[in-house]
Amino acid sequence: MRILALLIIVCSFQHINAADIKYPVSQIPKQLLKGANVVCRTQVEEYHLVSLDEAIVKTRVALTILNEKGDRFSGMVVHYSNLIKVTGFEGSLYNAEGQLIRKLKSKEIGDQSNVSEISLMDDSRVKFHNFNHRTYPYTVEYEVEEKYLNTYNFPRWFPQAAEHYAVEHSSFRFVAPLDYKVRYKAFNYPQPPAETIQGKYKSYFWEIRDQAVIQSVFASPQWREMTTNVFFAPSDFKMQGYTGNASSWEEFGKFQVKLHDGKDRLPQNILDKIQQLTAGISDEKEKVKILFEFLQQNTRYILISFGIGSLQPFEASYVASKGYGDCKALSNYMYSILKAAGIKSHYALINGGRESYARFFVEEFPSHQFNHMVLSVPLAKDTMWLECTSQTESAGYMGSYTGNRKALLITDQGGKLVNTPRYGLKENLQTRAIDAKIDAEGNLVMDVSTIYKGTQQDEVSSLINNNSKDKVQKILQQHLELPTYEINSFKYDLKKGMLPQIEEDLNITVPAYATVSGKRMFIVPNILNRGGLRLTFDTTRKLDYVFESEYRDEDKQVIEIPAGYELETPFENIAIKTPFGNYSATLKVEGNKIIYHRIREQFSGRFPPASGEAIAKYYNDIYKSDRLRIVFVKSQK
Amino acid sequence: MRTLFTLLCSVLLLQAFSQNEAPFPKFGKITVNDLEKKLYPLDSHAKAVVLQDVGSVSIEGNSKGWFSLVISRHKIVHIINKNGYSLADVEIPLYKSGNNAEERISAIKGSTYNLVNGKLEETKMDKSNLFTENVNKNKMVKKFTMPNVKEGSIIEYEYKVTSDFIRQLDPWIFQEEVPVLWSEFTFSLPGFFTYAPLMRGYLPLSFADRKERTNYFSVRDGGGAGQSQNYNFSAPVTDLRWVMKDVPALHTESFTSSILNHISRMEFQMMAQGHPLNNVNFQKSWFDLTKMLMESEDFGAGLKTKSWVSDDIKPLFASISNEEEKAKKIFGYVRDNYTSIGNSGIGMTEPLKNIIKNKKGAVSDLNLLLAGLLRYHGLDASPVILSTTGNGFVWEAYPNLKGFNYVVVLLKINGKDIYLDASKPQLGYNYILPYCYNGMARVIGDDFREISLNANTLQETSQTMVIIANDEKGKLVGKVRHTPGLYESYQARNKIKDKGAEAFFKEIEKEYGPEVVIQNTSVDSLKHYDLPVTIQYDIDLNLEKDNLLYVNPMFNEGWKKNPFTSLKRSYPVEMPYMVDETFLLTLEVPAGYEVDELPKQLMLKIDEDGSGFFEYRISHSGSTISFRSRLKMNKAFFMPEEYDTLREFMTIVVKKHNEQIVFKKKK
Repeated sequence: MRILALLIIVCSFQHINAADIKYPVSQIPKQLLKGANVVCRTQVEEYHLVSLDEAIVKTRVALTILNEKGDRFSGMVVHYSNLIKVTGFEGSLYNAEGQLIRKLKSKEIGDQSNVSEISLMDDSRVKFHNFNHRTYPYTVEYEVEEKYLNTYNFPRWFPQAAEHYAVEHSSFRFVAPLDYKVRYKAFNYPQPPAETIQGKYKSYFWEIRDQAVIQSVFASPQWREMTTNVFFAPSDFKMQGYTGNASSWEEFGKFQVKLHDGKDRLPQNILDKIQQLTAGISDEKEKVKILFEFLQQNTRYILISFGIGSLQPFEASYVASKGYGDCKALSNYMYSILKAAGIKSHYALINGGRESYARFFVEEFPSHQFNHMVLSVPLAKDTMWLECTSQTESAGYMGSYTGNRKALLITDQGGKLVNTPRYGLKENLQTRAIDAKIDAEGNLVMDVSTIYKGTQQDEVSSLINNNSKDKVQKILQQHLELPTYEINSFKYDLKKGMLPQIEEDLNITVPAYATVSGKRMFIVPNILNRGGLRLTFDTTRKLDYVFESEYRDEDKQVIEIPAGYELETPFENIAIKTPFGNYSATLKVEGNKIIYHRIREQFSGRFPPASGEAIAKYYNDIYKSDRLRIVFVKSQK
Repeated sequence: MRTLFTLLCSVLLLQAFSQNEAPFPKFGKITVNDLEKKLYPLDSHAKAVVLQDVGSVSIEGNSKGWFSLVISRHKIVHIINKNGYSLADVEIPLYKSGNNAEERISAIKGSTYNLVNGKLEETKMDKSNLFTENVNKNKMVKKFTMPNVKEGSIIEYEYKVTSDFIRQLDPWIFQEEVPVLWSEFTFSLPGFFTYAPLMRGYLPLSFADRKERTNYFSVRDGGGAGQSQNYNFSAPVTDLRWVMKDVPALHTESFTSSILNHISRMEFQMMAQGHPLNNVNFQKSWFDLTKMLMESEDFGAGLKTKSWVSDDIKPLFASISNEEEKAKKIFGYVRDNYTSIGNSGIGMTEPLKNIIKNKKGAVSDLNLLLAGLLRYHGLDASPVILSTTGNGFVWEAYPNLKGFNYVVVLLKINGKDIYLDASKPQLGYNYILPYCYNGMARVIGDDFREISLNANTLQETSQTMVIIANDEKGKLVGKVRHTPGLYESYQARNKIKDKGAEAFFKEIEKEYGPEVVIQNTSVDSLKHYDLPVTIQYDIDLNLEKDNLLYVNPMFNEGWKKNPFTSLKRSYPVEMPYMVDETFLLTLEVPAGYEVDELPKQLMLKIDEDGSGFFEYRISHSGSTISFRSRLKMNKAFFMPEEYDTLREFMTIVVKKHNEQIVFKKKK
């Protein structure tokens, strides 16, 4: 018997040896290498929902790193927390021929806290490893096993992670009890998943092979439209004792109601204060404004989150005593304040971020697609939206971080998908007047007065609200596109409102703005607002062009130059109207004054690849006109 | 009578003394008056003002048979507006090492004071405001955030840290990004330890004083398996106190090596211990330190022994007889075959054997491997330890290894000094990056010596040649040949590696403006890291044939923006190297045109001391225009008093680089 056992061991040992040849680079199909820095040789992911309390997630991934640029994918980082445990972590490194170089030792796995930059404290941690190999190409293989102690959030299958990343094989298996309703939403995967039954569980299987690299281009659509991926979401779920169902937005909202239940009690001193602040005021809108200002003056944003604390707010009384909280806690506090004043409001879950984030949202697929919370206050005439984490934002204004998108209102009846305020061409304005004077040496002094509205005021608002006065001066002194300049004075006036507006007055000296050489003077009339792009028309493009934001800029300038000059090369006036935007720039000289007028209206929209030529012309025309130089020559008289 | 006199005297004394006393000697002394103050003349724009920051450190016996530092801190900040809220979040890093040495925090106390209806309202910090982040096995961070903070709040907190790392006392920093009205540090130094305090930065102390007293010390020795023992003794103690009042805020400007070099602070270095302890002199000479490093396992090991040189390496360089050729081969071998996992100070992170096996290591590992291999092959190579610019200066007067954070190699061949850094994949032979040029560096080897790596000796020379003529169709076309300095070459190589040559040239084309097209692009010496790259391409100006043509003779090579944006400067300008840029153009007058106007020539010196000059020469003969621009700096450091001159000088450079040649159509 002993001999037999030994034999088996010897045999299997040899067997393992032979199998050690894995992922030789020579086996990668040629078409996958083109433009690739990384080839995913195989990625096998399995999400196994054991019960509503527990799921096991197994991932095996092998990536061939072809060159230095692929190195950023060569490591493995696993995030974990109170609700996710890491139960397995292995790795191997192979050379180009597919021979095993070495395996990771468990002591090489790093482990550290991963408290995010915006957060004071949370429970997120990472385990990480990297072979730091550099003889290209090479292959890393990792196997990771995690245990999820909740079923609120499911992973997403996203085989093609980035540009220059080809996929030889990738699969995802979702395993759940027979009676569990598995919900998914597939993109660029037309056929249904393969379904099999294994005992008490049913499995759903997706798989792709041989996907060459895709490239992001100017005005690309969403990445998820360009590649295969599948979203998953729970029907029934459970998290730290709370249960819910995400099959509809309505049901999903009911879970949020539970999380907020009983969190709205306020201490007596705050109740008295509310009473005092609103006494004698009958207009509800005015009341909201006053109470929102009270919130802004007495709280600040601090993120502290453990476990379900990433979804559930602190109690209103906590915020009342500490004076801080995160978006949920502050929204809940404001909700409680309004409630105490007899005003109904709703929490609103939102996916905050640049405007492109807004389109990231999949309306028809109820699930946790949110990273932020605001408050929505329905009033008789309109709805007021409140960004409770900001100490400076106007009551009722959302801006580019939260405007122009969907939000999930949490009502007593459950969730309801609504639109946040829209800011478009009529709202997002920058209107500027420049009164400038150029002396005989070409030095320019100007008064610049600008009115910013809508999302065009967001950046200015953050500049003046987040910086001390000397810091504002410093930033202004750096970021203008002028060779050398001095900000002599500056003034800002913020008018709060549903559509806030900022008036800016600058006085700037620009030494040698105009180039005086000999008898000539060279001037670029557009001093501060040069836009456009240099684009070449890509005839091979297959993707639509997508433009996100809408805005309107108007610049009126009067530039006085020394007497005795006459225009040598005139300005080419231009006026273009396109489906992407309108642009016009005109210039005339009256006496020794240059009068320049520019209007740019940028539209949002989606355009087919065939529009490429017109789009390139549009951007190039603006680019050119905005930089046109005019030349004056001293009169011969 | 006598009593009255004494009383008067003590009142006077008290008054004289109180001027030198911190404004809030005890916790909880904030008044309504303090809260009502809205404006501080020191800085009327500040987002917050530190009313006082008082620290003290004493040395006490511990139960581990030795001594600990006990560091106390008491800080009070007036939050003026919302931008100052971040000062209400406090993080205190605490370290521990494997051998039972650690840092502990205790006695954390904090309050926020607000003015509510003319009355002072105090909100105390409680346990729920305190958090502990276990970063990794050697580090944790204690965090707290003050409750109830609003515009106009005053926050006050204090805490105590007990540290077993008595040789690593953190510097006391007087200056912050907000103004500080009173910054004070007291060091209660027992007679049996000697520390050297080192004042850094440009601001003077308001005053310093010292008091002598006697203190009682008790040290308990756990004794391991045996019985524990107590040692009790008294020893003289000196209370050294340093105070800086009305410290302005410090902001980082462009061309700053490290703000650490300029911030006002007091550093401490432990020098010796003495009676009643054993006499030990910690103050090592540079000679001692060099010897110690050479003998240590994690630095000098590979330089002295040979057993780590594995059999697969031995034959690689055996056949090369020329010394320099051999050195280049060995350098290339380490650079091209080993991965750098980043910089982690001067010590090795793993034994050389493992480095060779895994083919990866930190900067120190790779460069010590390089030094070892060079020596193994009979070459005169030594590691050099230095402090990179971001890490601050090291000072010659107090020999100490703590300030160094980077290792390169110095090789001597035929009387030449060759500097090598094998940890950067595309860095050439005999070139180390500008961030290594930060003053004193030390050669570690059989002998010891100091070298100075000074940016005032590092030249970055670039040359651009452009030839433009009419083609057969009368269009202006030409060739550009740009040979940058070694640093710009290194950056160009990295850029081409990251983004590809196509994107690299696209960017260049973009800088020329909308009409210009560049083609037939090439980069020479891309893989010859010892040489600068040469970037070449053909250029098509696509000028529109108007009555007048305007051409900037610098094309896109000129300075477009003055790098000195700030109007004033409170500390030196530290450029990474001395710039020497030459631009040459030969331009044929466009067919059918004649020269109407040329920019004026100019020769400009920064000053009479020869700090640098700018030359702008242009001439016209027959159908050819010759142009030359040269900007040369003879030093990289400029003092604050030279700033105005430097800024003005660059303004003129930018202006000249914008000027145009004018051609007009022949009639």
